[in-house]
Amino acid sequence: MTVLPTELEVVEKSAPPATAGGAPGGRSLRALVRDPGAALAGGYILLIVLMALFAPLIVRLSGWGPYEFDQQAIDPDLAGVPLGGWGGAGADHWFGVEPGSGRDIFARIVYGARVSMLIALSATALTTLLGVVLGMLAGYFGGRVDWVISRVMDFLMAFPALIFMIAILSALPAGNRSVMLVVVISLFGWPYLARVVRGQTMSLAQREFVEAARASGAGSATIVFREILPNLRSTIIVLTTLAVPGYIGTEAGLSFLGVGVVPPTPSWGQMIASSVNWYSVVPSYFAIPGAFLFLLVLSFTVLGDRLRAFLDPGGLR
Amino acid sequence: MARYLLARLSGVVLILVLVCLFTFTVFFVLSPDPAVQICGKNCNPELIERIRGNLGLDEPLFTQFTTFLGGLFAGRAYGTGEGAVECAAPCLGYSFQSSQPVWEMITERLPVTVTVAVGAAVLWLLAGVVGGLVGALRQGTWWDRGAMVIALSGLSIPNYVFALVLQYVLVVELEWLPFPQAVTLADDPALWFQSYLMPWIVLAFAYASVYARLTRANVIDTLEENFVRTARAKGLPRGQVIRRHALRPALTPVATIFGMDFAGLLGGALITEKVFGINGVGKMTADAIGRNDQPVIMGVTLLAAAFVVVGNVVVDLVYTALDPRVRLTVA
Amino acid sequence: MKRTVLARTAAIAAAVLALGACSNGGPDPSEGSGQNGGVSYTDTPENGGTVYVLQNADFSYLDPARGFDGGVNNFYRLVYRTLTTPAPGNADDPSSIVPDLATDLGTPSEDGLTWTFTLKEGVRFQDGSPITSADVKFGISRAWDPELGIGSPYARQVIDAPEGYEGPYRSGPLETIETPDERTIVFHLREPYPEFGSVVAQNSFVPFPEGTGAGDEFIDEIISSGPYRLDSYTPGSSIRLVRNEEWDPETDDVREAYPDNWEFVIGLDAATIDERLLAGQGNDANAISLTIQPATLPRVQTPQLQERLKRMEGICQTYLGLNTTKEPLNDVRVRQAINLAVDRAAVQNASGGTQFADISTTILPRTVSGYRDYDLYPSEEHRGDQEAARALLEEAGYADGFDLTLDIRSQPKMQAQAEAIQQSLEPLGINVELNVIDVSSYYETIGTPALQNDAAITGWCPDWASSASTFLPPLFDGRGITDVGNPNLAQLNDENINARIDEIRAMTDLDAANEQWGLLDEEIMELSPIVPLAVESGITLPGENITGIYANPGSASGGIDFVLVGLRDPERG
Repeated sequence: MTVLPTELEVVEKSAPPATAGGAPGGRSLRALVRDPGAALAGGYILLIVLMALFAPLIVRLSGWGPYEFDQQAIDPDLAGVPLGGWGGAGADHWFGVEPGSGRDIFARIVYGARVSMLIALSATALTTLLGVVLGMLAGYFGGRVDWVISRVMDFLMAFPALIFMIAILSALPAGNRSVMLVVVISLFGWPYLARVVRGQTMSLAQREFVEAARASGAGSATIVFREILPNLRSTIIVLTTLAVPGYIGTEAGLSFLGVGVVPPTPSWGQMIASSVNWYSVVPSYFAIPGAFLFLLVLSFTVLGDRLRAFLDPGGLR
Repeated sequence: MARYLLARLSGVVLILVLVCLFTFTVFFVLSPDPAVQICGKNCNPELIERIRGNLGLDEPLFTQFTTFLGGLFAGRAYGTGEGAVECAAPCLGYSFQSSQPVWEMITERLPVTVTVAVGAAVLWLLAGVVGGLVGALRQGTWWDRGAMVIALSGLSIPNYVFALVLQYVLVVELEWLPFPQAVTLADDPALWFQSYLMPWIVLAFAYASVYARLTRANVIDTLEENFVRTARAKGLPRGQVIRRHALRPALTPVATIFGMDFAGLLGGALITEKVFGINGVGKMTADAIGRNDQPVIMGVTLLAAAFVVVGNVVVDLVYTALDPRVRLTVA
Repeated sequence: MKRTVLARTAAIAAAVLALGACSNGGPDPSEGSGQNGGVSYTDTPENGGTVYVLQNADFSYLDPARGFDGGVNNFYRLVYRTLTTPAPGNADDPSSIVPDLATDLGTPSEDGLTWTFTLKEGVRFQDGSPITSADVKFGISRAWDPELGIGSPYARQVIDAPEGYEGPYRSGPLETIETPDERTIVFHLREPYPEFGSVVAQNSFVPFPEGTGAGDEFIDEIISSGPYRLDSYTPGSSIRLVRNEEWDPETDDVREAYPDNWEFVIGLDAATIDERLLAGQGNDANAISLTIQPATLPRVQTPQLQERLKRMEGICQTYLGLNTTKEPLNDVRVRQAINLAVDRAAVQNASGGTQFADISTTILPRTVSGYRDYDLYPSEEHRGDQEAARALLEEAGYADGFDLTLDIRSQPKMQAQAEAIQQSLEPLGINVELNVIDVSSYYETIGTPALQNDAAITGWCPDWASSASTFLPPLFDGRGITDVGNPNLAQLNDENINARIDEIRAMTDLDAANEQWGLLDEEIMELSPIVPLAVESGITLPGENITGIYANPGSASGGIDFVLVGLRDPERG
């Protein structure tokens, strides 16, 4: 999560140039599907999305809900350590149980995917909205509008986002944490997208087809939404895909530090946080949510990388 | 040059004031009444009133903000009359938890955090640049692919997960390292190194990955450039071309982001120090979050922002020294 | 007024800060959790050496007028003396109060309003000056200072003082305490208080030379009257104590003071402390800590390690307070249904399992005098009786359940306990919403009836373990409900209970009174204002070279009694 700013900076340097005219639709998509790395990554993401969507059904199949205590699965005389090897994993509890409560780790992973995806995707949506709108405004209108927006962006990007997010989340009373997480993550996330959008809007605004539209009497709104926005499509897709893993990591990290979602809602970051004490006794307790989290972030990163390569052959690769 | 510096410095001050305003708003305006939190369990309305008076919370918000700023730059007094306590500049207030001055708490622990940060920085620069170079010069080979897969993992694994994996494997399973302990270099150099090794690796991994990718891309780009091709066409050996012509332009961007990353390292140190139980500023902050010790969180937030803002200026200055093409202009 | 939470208090000039961390422990040292091996941790230590105490949090205050919690009380015992004090952990009745600076437990007058104590001869401060009755009076009068007297409230509540008296620095000497000669001190009380002999064992009764200790003087500098004096103190990091040569062991029947030095290493992570104690390298063989973490227990598997484990039974009750003013909790049947339904075994597991917690069915913990065993709301293996609970809810007209907001602290263990309660009430249709409150404002919130929700998890410890008088009255006397800092979370105001409290309080035969407190415990539980959950214990893993491990309910909230601890071999480490 700490790499979020730097990584996006790198991304920005290699953001695909605004391509006027036809969007690189079907061709890239087919190439993408044929790429084994991208296909694997996409497959894993799909799996997690399905898991999140059908969590209640899956849990019914596996037999244990995410909040159900199973006192039979833990040893009350040994501080509630799961009975049996591998953290109590077996036919009953596929991934074992949580020490102290005997709650099913599989069910909590499945439900935790909901939290991760919901927050990361909401934050991505909000960031994209803010980044695209403000970036285009700054780039298209220039002048004072640009100055104000650019200064705000400089201001927000100048800081260690993690510490600021923690500061805000810990200062505000714990109300609806999920919404607050989305807002806070987006607050510090949008400038990275906006900066690229701004630059590309600026160059697009000088292009002939925009001049032509302007000459034919189209209003600002029409030009921005009809002429410029479609040309930013691939940039936005790539940057958005690459932003998701950062947000997933950030949500998990904030939950890990205790300013994330409120219990008993399961979250992967929170599961890892509570596993810290048990790491040497029940290693599967941190390894399982850790692996799920790692693979999800990895998949989005790989997918973003590949998307960038396909949409912009002249880029980093 | 002088004019540029002046402009940059005034920019720094402006941003720092804005940061203060932001922090002040978050902690004093948006958060629940600090007086109530300070008051604790033996609380009564009278006590709350007195605390409000002592903290200056009964003043108008603007006055509170100027007092807060004044405390930062010139020190301030809490309370009036005999009971007043002088808080010397830079005054960040007192911890709710230990009643120590926050500034003192930070400076006491800063050496530990600097140790973690510097060690990690050395490690990630080495690993990142070497990894990137290997990737670029052996492009398309297994070396390249290996380095980039590791870099991709480094980007994707959350540092707290990596820390637990490392600790489980190296300390519990293989017993190659002892459980990290708080020893100084002077007391026991071997144990000191062993204790800091895992934190360094954990903190460095993600950064090293970014640097490897960046270095690789930059070196490949530079090798494509005309001046390098010319040098090669002149018949210079490959090694010499790389050393003399390609490396410097390729590494300049790395130097730039290094300054920024190093200045912003406090965020990463937070989790690393917490997981390994290292008593630095990061762990202090993590603990303060757990206890909602807001003056401490606020102090660290301000400090972190100051590092980044100052780091920015230093980076720009160094950048101009490294790359003559960049001129200093007042934006 | 003591909770399971240590008051960790801090001063910004006049400002007063208070926060919490948990303290635990218990009084039966023979009750080891591992197999009993050959080595005894109750052997008599040798004199000399340094004992190390590894801990996470710093002590609240070195100034005894300010500090008031289980952790710091135990520390005070090493450096301060009071007129009376809790008996040492190896005494026949470690819950009792015994004379310390005074020759006896005090003599009340006929009407119970005047108490007279006589000081022992040969008691001295660290500078060699004798401790006189004037010093005792001066020390006590500091409790009235509005800025210093934030610790134990008993002196102010019980001793008669002029209207508006604000301590010696603002209002001069406290004239209502008489000192007819250097060794005699006479207190006048507001009302008779048969347990005044226990009151004078409170921290706020520590003597100080006249004129000392103004403002923040005792923040990092103290004047010792006990066997050790302060050598160095780095807040948040370390405290070092060395022998106070002026302390005369002849005058002290409580403190053994075997080691020459004490070193408190502060600011260590709980996990780090456990790792160090498990490894036991170097000085760590001479180290003790409050308790290991539950997750460490499964790692203690070798016979040598098992032998070192000592369970310290707690004296604090962890309970679920039910706000009797809220619908539908104002219906006693609904409250009884909750008491029946809660799965205490799950709560026990959430608290660390059988070793770290004992299931409670009574208000008083077993370790507090007056405890009487009973269970009004029984269920198989304490798993909760859903059938009986459902029947009661139906009778009350809540067959479909209701919504309930439960206040909890943002702290992992309490969250786990709350989740266990949430789970056990779910089948009844009682939908429990967890309201997580910051650690720093938790007690402020739940102690303010206007802010309090339906229920809250909290704890209570007695201020002295020799009677239930600091346990039942503050929690259940309806006349003690206040707008802020209200300990009566249930807001129970029952005439019969109030009358019974008055009746028992007036009893001068303390044993008879304790018997009555035990009966009152059950009378209160019939109204079901709280759900007793568990008495949490500590498990300590002292270093190999440590011995003299005894728990002390009175001075240490059940933790290790420091004054008996020492080393087997002072040369080691």
